[in-house]
Amino acid sequence: MIDYENISKVYNDNRVLKDVSLHINKGDVVAVLGPSGSGKTTMLRCMNFLEKADVGTMTFDGKKYDLHGISKKNMAAIRKKTGFVFQRYNLFLNKTALQNVTEGLVIARKMPKEQAVEKGKVALDKVGLSDRYDFYPSQLSGGQQQRVGIARALVTDPEIIYFDEPTSALDPELIGEVLLVMRRLAKEGITMVVVTHEMSFARDVSNRVVFMEDGEILKDVPSKEFFENPGDDRIRNFLRTLTS
Amino acid sequence: MTERLWNILTDSFLKILVPGLQMTIPLTIISFAIGMVIALVVAMIQVAEIPGLKQLCRFYVWIIRGTPLLVQLYVVFYGLPRLGVLIDPFPAAVIVFSISVGAYDSETMRAAIQSVSKGQIEAGYCVGMSYPQIMRRIVLPQAFRTAFPPLSNSLIGLVKDTSLAANITVLEMFMATQRIVARTYEPFALYLEVALIYLIFCTVLTKVQSVCEKRLGKYGKR
Ligand SMILES: Nc1ncnc2c1ncn2[C@@H]1O[C@H](COP(=O)(O)OP(=O)(O)OP(=O)(O)O)[C@@H](O)[C@H]1O
Ligand SMILES: [Mg+2]
Repeated sequence: MIDYENISKVYNDNRVLKDVSLHINKGDVVAVLGPSGSGKTTMLRCMNFLEKADVGTMTFDGKKYDLHGISKKNMAAIRKKTGFVFQRYNLFLNKTALQNVTEGLVIARKMPKEQAVEKGKVALDKVGLSDRYDFYPSQLSGGQQQRVGIARALVTDPEIIYFDEPTSALDPELIGEVLLVMRRLAKEGITMVVVTHEMSFARDVSNRVVFMEDGEILKDVPSKEFFENPGDDRIRNFLRTLTS
Repeated sequence: MTERLWNILTDSFLKILVPGLQMTIPLTIISFAIGMVIALVVAMIQVAEIPGLKQLCRFYVWIIRGTPLLVQLYVVFYGLPRLGVLIDPFPAAVIVFSISVGAYDSETMRAAIQSVSKGQIEAGYCVGMSYPQIMRRIVLPQAFRTAFPPLSNSLIGLVKDTSLAANITVLEMFMATQRIVARTYEPFALYLEVALIYLIFCTVLTKVQSVCEKRLGKYGKR
């Protein structure tokens, strides 16, 4: 459905992504694993143009785009069909939970306000925040803020949602509520690419694991296979350090 | 206090206050409004890093902040006629004060805009918004809230700075006082009186500021 080919990115002499390719099928839940600094965030950001790749292409809706030279217009058009959830939520601090969710509908997509509010409420209900519509981010817990972040990505009916470590800024007791929401989305068949350190999510929810190291994809296999038969020593070591 | 002095003070009160209401306040409001527009444009050009224009803005801020306001007034009112540019006292004062407010407050606005986290801007892009939409809906509202106290400061400062316009024959409060002093030879009492009126103006503004700040709240925070 969405194909990324040969993404490369260099930060002053540091080759952070080395010719990375990823093919995402409809309904895939891809867990992206790998040690710190291996390029997971950079890959995700290049995929949604938050970072400009030096080389690489993207095929989306049957059309091929150059990740380096893509026009602002095409960027905006593709972003309207994708969602992004940030590690640090990045909610609009001057907007309530509901306004955070409807902003992209009303302003970017020119949807009539009543219709947007209707949709926004449905999205917030889905992440369990039906009693927090009018709360500002500063009045919400980290877990609630992240669920608003997910609702904001979800409300536009995107073809894919990218998550960058959605639970790693959260206190341990708040991680569960966010993972639960993501689990539900996966069940609904929403296509997701999730950078995560949550092995339970990778094992139980995702259908594919992409393991990155040093700017390369070392492995891209069904998650069952990944955990049952890691193969590579580097992956074994990685899993061992996590579970110890 | 002698009766003569008391009479002078009561007689002059209105004679000072009226130019205050007719000149000082309009001069302040008009200059501040124009200055804010300049400040906003200059700040946005710098934040958006528009090449060429950005350097021009830095140059403008550098010149204006590095030279005395009084000298700027003299250059525009007494200097420009030499080049054939004659400007009436009031518009000359408005021009100089607006340009000055624009330079100082562009720095305030720039800092306030840059204090809005980059993550919110990225989130705006990710929900499909354009840069101008993100500015208008997300960044500027927060920047204005942050900049409100320092901008109020600059407004209060401007009220007092307008007294400099006396030097270019704008008949505002201070010049009105000077004229009465010239007639009555009571500088001490009369200059204290005009100081008191400035103080009242500024006190009112300070009160308005604190009421506004409470009203604005802080997006749920108190
Ligand atoms: N803006 C930047 N400028 C320079 N180097 C950068 C920048 N962003 C990332 N890097 C470098 O790129 C490499 C990959 O970083 P990235 O954030 O993609 O790793 P990651 O796999 O997401 O790590 P983590 O698990 O810690 O989040 C790192 O070596 C990092 O130092
Ligand atoms: Mg990361």
